[in-house]
Amino acid sequence: MSIVKMQKVAVIGLDTRKKELMSRLMDFGAVELTDQAEKLEDELWKNAVVRDENQEEVSRLEGKISRAEQALEIIEKYDPGRKPLFKTRREVDRTRAEAVLEKQEDAEKKIEAVLHLNERLHQNAEGMNRIDSDRLALGPWSSYDLPLEVRETRQCVMHMGVLPVSHDPGETGRQLEETAGEVVFRLAGSDRDFHYIAFLTTREKEEEAVSLLKQKGFSETSFHGFSGTVKENLERLSRQRAALEAASHGIEAEIAEKACLREEIEEYCDMMTVEADKEKIRTRLLKTRRTFFLEGWIPAGCTEKAAAILEENGCYYAFRDPEEGEDVPVVLNNSSFFTPFESITEMYSLPDYHGFDPTSIFALFYAIFFGMMLSDAGYGIVMAVICFVVLKKYPLEGNMYKMIKLFFYCGISTTFWGAMFGGWFGNIVEVVSSTFAGHTVTLPPIWFNPIEDPMTLLIFSLALGIIHIFIGMGIKAYMQIRDGHWFDAVCDEGFWYLTILGLIGWLGGGTVAAGLVSAGKWMTIIGAAGLLLTGGRHNKGFGKITGGLGNIYNITSYLSDILSYARILALGLATGVIAQVVNTMGGLFGGGIGGAIALIIIFIIGHVFNLAINALGAFIHSSRLQYIEFFGKFYEDGGEPFDPFRRKTRYIKIAQNEQEAH
Amino acid sequence: MSIFDGNSLALLGAAIAALAGIGSAMGVGIAGQAASGVLAEDPKKFGKTLILQALPGTQGIYGLIIAFLILMKIGMLGGSMVELTQAQGLYFLAAGIPIGLVGIWSGIAQGKAAAAALQLMAKRPDQMAKGIIYTAMVETYAIFALLVSVLMWLNIEV
Repeated sequence: MSIVKMQKVAVIGLDTRKKELMSRLMDFGAVELTDQAEKLEDELWKNAVVRDENQEEVSRLEGKISRAEQALEIIEKYDPGRKPLFKTRREVDRTRAEAVLEKQEDAEKKIEAVLHLNERLHQNAEGMNRIDSDRLALGPWSSYDLPLEVRETRQCVMHMGVLPVSHDPGETGRQLEETAGEVVFRLAGSDRDFHYIAFLTTREKEEEAVSLLKQKGFSETSFHGFSGTVKENLERLSRQRAALEAASHGIEAEIAEKACLREEIEEYCDMMTVEADKEKIRTRLLKTRRTFFLEGWIPAGCTEKAAAILEENGCYYAFRDPEEGEDVPVVLNNSSFFTPFESITEMYSLPDYHGFDPTSIFALFYAIFFGMMLSDAGYGIVMAVICFVVLKKYPLEGNMYKMIKLFFYCGISTTFWGAMFGGWFGNIVEVVSSTFAGHTVTLPPIWFNPIEDPMTLLIFSLALGIIHIFIGMGIKAYMQIRDGHWFDAVCDEGFWYLTILGLIGWLGGGTVAAGLVSAGKWMTIIGAAGLLLTGGRHNKGFGKITGGLGNIYNITSYLSDILSYARILALGLATGVIAQVVNTMGGLFGGGIGGAIALIIIFIIGHVFNLAINALGAFIHSSRLQYIEFFGKFYEDGGEPFDPFRRKTRYIKIAQNEQEAH
Repeated sequence: MSIFDGNSLALLGAAIAALAGIGSAMGVGIAGQAASGVLAEDPKKFGKTLILQALPGTQGIYGLIIAFLILMKIGMLGGSMVELTQAQGLYFLAAGIPIGLVGIWSGIAQGKAAAAALQLMAKRPDQMAKGIIYTAMVETYAIFALLVSVLMWLNIEV
């Protein structure tokens, strides 16, 4: 339950050993190199060192990575094989991974082949687009049966084009005949916007005929490049399109066949990423002509091994503790039981390096709140079993692993609370037994049924909330005492403990023991007096009085914090009631085969829906109770996550020497 | 015998509770528009956008719960309605109001928060969880309204 202690390491070594050292540090994977921009501003350093970098090499490698990623995307798109539910990294041993670097050209050729196939696919698609637009243009002319290239004879000229639909074609034809005399006018077809017309005039009268039609908005269509009749052209185009389509299918199948190359390309892509990272990290190094300098953060527990690596490579080095005001990266270290709950802490924001990691403290509360909000043993079992199977089947890592494991724990807690409150897929046993067996069997709750006795659960929820909030305040007090401010701890937390506990005794103690009321009364008075007197201790003059009053007024915020835990009851009831609604609807169809089928269908759909929506709600609202009510009391956030120099591979995990910092 | 007898008042209560669906419909709609915008940029985010879009949907469910509970208690679902006094009917009417009214406005407000969270997710997918929390803050008040409605409903003697 803590934030890992960090040390800063500074290293000077010889240029000749740099490559080997960086490679070893990457394998080691527990040193975060810091940026040295500040030193380059410093007079003393500026004259001695320059930044080490090789941008050309970085961009060359990144080019390779992006081509490989592109190829993988293409394969992914056309591969008909089933895709796994979770992407996991597969283990590859070190010799094989290094062999990838030797066979780079090989992999590059395969990547080129995939990219080339994709390029051809694009060309085909472009060709098909062109054909489609030609077909669209020719379509309305399908009844025009002269060859398209014949547009004039010795005496006559043919004009083809479109006329806005607002002009009547018959009327236009008559007008044309009046103006130009000998005209042949044909309507080839019409659509919503245009009449497609062709007309033949003599050369002498051509100008008049055209100008008449231009006034009506006629616009000429050129069939440049086409020969033969429209029908012939349309047939040719659909043949061409079919051929292109077939070719595309062929290419897609060819790409799908390349799916067997995926692993090889993935390995190549990862190894290139590793190489690129090795080049990129150089911008954090400073160099002189023959030496280099680097600085970084390292978990205090890893210094010995790091020292051995540095020693082997003939470096000068020094470790030191973080100084005041330095931004130290943060990594949490909890026992494996609590690590899943780190994802909740991380989702909020990592604690400050000098702060406090509450993961192991709120873990239990998180599971309890989640369980009480979902509170159905059937749902809990379903959740726990699914998560367990996923955890066994997939070698998940990182946040995904933490989340699934978190839901596994929450599933167990849900099962427990469901059994306590008597929820097994709502009241399914009752419904099934009364509908099909004729007599009602109930699964009695171990503790009590919240739908019948919600006040007990409300009080229990609020009591849990008070404990939760008190623990949060306790952490704050611990932090203040740790930093030597014990008086603040007494004023800020001690008096509040006294006041709140006193109020509970004063207002509610009467039902337990009469003595509690007067004891509570005096506790409240002492606590409140303390709050009033010390609330303004950091203020000056008049603020000393108003500060105390303001402090007392904070009782409202404590009240609203505590009442906020009533959501545990409300969400628990919501799950239970919806489950009952589902079961009641399922039972409406009566007994017999038909009723059973209807019940099963409604059961599955209804409960899947209820589980999904309420598990999401339970997850969000358990998190909220931690973030607002609990963290609000003490949490100092803003830690930068520790990001050591390591192999950031996406597809493979290199088996040997892979060490994580935590 | 007026038209406002106990049973019609109780049914009115159930109807008002179900009105919470208005808020959810509008909220889910607002969030859905934003979700489509996000998806246009990156279709891979469908699952994540769906979660955020679903958040304002809960008010409708809470309304449904109360409506259903009222109908159940007055025997509407069993086929034979219990004869209620006017006072009892008014109690049920009162029980329907908190979730019905709070559901409408909190649903709309939550939809707007969800839409903003979707924008946040489009730009910073790693910050999605915080967007969900912001959106869920609105829901608190719908939950409290649900609680008030449930507690009223529980204590009505039929």
